[in-house]
Amino acid sequence: MAGAMATGTPAGAFSASQTGLFGHGIASGDPMPGSVLLWTRVTPTPESLPGSGAGPDVSVQWEVSADAAFTKVVARGTVPTGPARDHTVKVVAGRLLPATSYWYRFTFGGEASPVGRTRTAPAAGAAVNRLKFGVVSCANWQAGYFSSYRHLAARGDLDAVLHLGDYLYEYAPGDYQARDVVVRPHDPAFEMTQLEHYRRRHAQYKTDPDLQALHAAAPFIVTWDDHESANDAWRGGAENHTPGVEGDWSERFAAAHQAYAEWMPVRYEPGGQIYRRLDFGSLASLSMLDLRSYRDQQAANGTDPAVGSPARTITGAAQMDWLLGNLKSTGPQWKLVGNPVMIAPVRIPSTLSTAELAGVQKLMGGTSIGGVPYNVDQWDGYEADRNRVVRHLRDNAVKDTVFLTGDIHSGWACDIPADPASYPATGDSVAAELVCTSVTSDNLDDILNVPPRTGSVGVENAIKAANPHVKYLDFDSHGYSVLDITAAGVRMDWYVLAERTSAGSGTALSTSFNVQANTGKVTPAQGELE
Amino acid sequence: MSGSPRQVTPASSRLSTPGRRQFLRIAAAGGAAVVLSAAQGTAWAAPAAGRTRSYVLVVDGCRPDEITPALTPRLAALRDAGTNFPAARSLPVMETIPNHVMMMTGVRPDRSGVPANAIFDRAEGVVRDLDRPTDLHLPTLLERLQERGFTTGSVLSKKYLYGIFGTRASYRWEPQPLLPVTGHAPDAATMDALLAMVSGPDPDFVFTNLGDIDRVGHSDLSGTTLRAAREAALADTDLQVGRFIDHLRNAGKWDSSVVMVLADHSMDWSIPSNLISINLILQPRPELQSNITIAQNGGADLLYWTGPEPDRAAGLAAVAQLVSAHEGVLSVNTPADLRLGDEAGDLVAYCRAGWRFSDPYVASNPIPGNHGHPATEPIPFFVTGGSPLVVKGAVSSEAARTADVAPTIGGIYGLKAPAGGYDGTARRSAFTA
Repeated sequence: MAGAMATGTPAGAFSASQTGLFGHGIASGDPMPGSVLLWTRVTPTPESLPGSGAGPDVSVQWEVSADAAFTKVVARGTVPTGPARDHTVKVVAGRLLPATSYWYRFTFGGEASPVGRTRTAPAAGAAVNRLKFGVVSCANWQAGYFSSYRHLAARGDLDAVLHLGDYLYEYAPGDYQARDVVVRPHDPAFEMTQLEHYRRRHAQYKTDPDLQALHAAAPFIVTWDDHESANDAWRGGAENHTPGVEGDWSERFAAAHQAYAEWMPVRYEPGGQIYRRLDFGSLASLSMLDLRSYRDQQAANGTDPAVGSPARTITGAAQMDWLLGNLKSTGPQWKLVGNPVMIAPVRIPSTLSTAELAGVQKLMGGTSIGGVPYNVDQWDGYEADRNRVVRHLRDNAVKDTVFLTGDIHSGWACDIPADPASYPATGDSVAAELVCTSVTSDNLDDILNVPPRTGSVGVENAIKAANPHVKYLDFDSHGYSVLDITAAGVRMDWYVLAERTSAGSGTALSTSFNVQANTGKVTPAQGELE
Repeated sequence: MSGSPRQVTPASSRLSTPGRRQFLRIAAAGGAAVVLSAAQGTAWAAPAAGRTRSYVLVVDGCRPDEITPALTPRLAALRDAGTNFPAARSLPVMETIPNHVMMMTGVRPDRSGVPANAIFDRAEGVVRDLDRPTDLHLPTLLERLQERGFTTGSVLSKKYLYGIFGTRASYRWEPQPLLPVTGHAPDAATMDALLAMVSGPDPDFVFTNLGDIDRVGHSDLSGTTLRAAREAALADTDLQVGRFIDHLRNAGKWDSSVVMVLADHSMDWSIPSNLISINLILQPRPELQSNITIAQNGGADLLYWTGPEPDRAAGLAAVAQLVSAHEGVLSVNTPADLRLGDEAGDLVAYCRAGWRFSDPYVASNPIPGNHGHPATEPIPFFVTGGSPLVVKGAVSSEAARTADVAPTIGGIYGLKAPAGGYDGTARRSAFTA
């Protein structure tokens, strides 16, 4: 661990925004060269509670300014909302300049919302010296405080924040928390399965002052993973869904997506597709994937022939064609992929103890073969689709592809072998994968119930030995990552929290890895970014 | 070959003038001699001081990830000191001759007439290399700069490159000694010639091809894994490039020099079983096989319909379907898709990474290292040098291409675009002005 612990701005500074007409904060998202999406939720009457379906139809004013004092307003308008969309407000502010910072706010009933800062993307094809993204995933309200968001908000240098999924969790209090401790109980106090529940849970998360601060500081670029609906979701069901008892899956999935569309600053509406691409001049494209809506059911285990079946998919055919079309040699240099679950192959060595194997299986999910876990929920369970991507990259010599991944509650830096069998001899890699750890969700030391950096270290070393393309693995830490992108390389810094269950937790730089241009390989980086 | 600089003495004697050419023999250390030629009437004296010298060094077949501080320290240092374009790529067909032509013309093959190394010459009825001066339909940077009063040089290690560029430059070196089989001069000899060119006539612009990395890469039987011989060639070529840089510095010419380093294509290795013979694919369909002529270009096969005209469309559609079905074939394209022109025939088949074509017979292409297919597009491409014109220590996301060389170098000398314009782009971000 390097660097001094920082504590960031005290969370109490944002308490005023948790009450009143705009108690769920403001947000922006999906920056494009000429526009950005703005979001808020208005509570026009006391009975207009999230999920209630109560309250009047109203109109909310919005404005965008070139300065924080709003003396240079460049766009404004009025947008209707009401109980039909849970009083959430989404509007695309257009006619903006590329690569420009703006400030925005909403007004209703004579009250102004908090002010948010956002930033548009660079113009298509424009030269870009540097981009900096916050990268986060897996924020379980019940498992602690969102100090990671506070520290990212305090940086003041982010072009955007990538949220790679598990923005919220579906569980009831007591079902999933910080080891055995419910730090903050979920609302509603049961598993969310219906539209009202999903809306209320989203609303609860949006009252978190650290999350509000980060939304106000930079535009988000989001995709969902499984917990936005239910654990290990696939297009026809989920591990944490019981048909009949919990209703029809298609209705639950649709409810989850509707609430997500209402409550998240994303250019997605129900019935549409959330996978999308954003470009940042000539420097980078970002393809955000949806690996839940189109995938086939997970295989039974790693020996199930279904794992390698070309008939099974994790992306769906249309999204795969779209992804391969984005991963091409023309266009922006860096091909970044917002990837909710790991794509690098991971083999768990059988030499681990029974307790270690059980812990890894609980962390990574999936099934086991003779006691050895195998994560069939990742791309490992959909080998044909992964092979399509790898073969496409190799056949077309597509360079500078980096998968940015969440889901697994641990930090990883991996090469993606052109051929796993020959990789130990050749080192040939078609792309890199950088995985951010969880904001709060349990990881291996929590599952093993041991202090951090004790029992997990041997497991990490065994996994790295069995998977030589895995160059970095931290199974214990919670925190966030910062991604720095230049023409010379992409670098990820992993920051770790001192204590996720403490509202004022400090943070420190843990490690950094580079992906130098044209290499497709991860290498250790030195020093802290400016 | 030692890495120490060789001392090359200036012009010592003028040789006889056979035909319309005149020759200059320049002595090198150790008793070696370099013979340069020039068009009759061309002055041998060095031009006036105060000008910008520019050099294009083609490290033939080099992959961008092969330039590393450990393996190629001089090239890596040059790259890091100048402006690097990591997204640079070769252009179809990813072969030596067409990409050198694109560098010097700035236009794509559908305008230059040079789409590949080997084509089927319909007029002569043979498959042959495009190695004749008349195969190139447009003037190149080598002549166009002369028209503006500048002097140019060509130091090309491969016989067929010397063939197509011929006497276009003010001063040129005919590659020798040529190694058997490869048809190229070793980099040490090529560098001797370049140093002699700089010491002697000292042209404003010199176009140089270093062929060892490519030639060794083709034949490296350990290419799929160890790449042992390949790495030895990389290290040696790096030494030769170092000789050149040291020579410029020692001669006081570095501060007026712009050095552009790039490759014409990269390299991909295949195992013996990953071999595609289109002739064999068509064997069950003799009405197709007998009406198709194949010009093999390593990772790309050019297919020419030679049958009855009324059967062309249906025949080519059937061929495309059969060839596309092979597991090692990446795509079947029309020449128009790739901007290759009529010389490229009717269809262009690309293989996947780790495969190669071998036509007309399965034994026709025994070499493991190949290029021509998309897997061999990425190339190193950087602008460096001591000239104050060069932006130092920069990296650009711009998608540089081999066709960018002519507009970029031409821009240094205020050269206007040719009739019809360039297809390439001047990489101005590498220059301060």
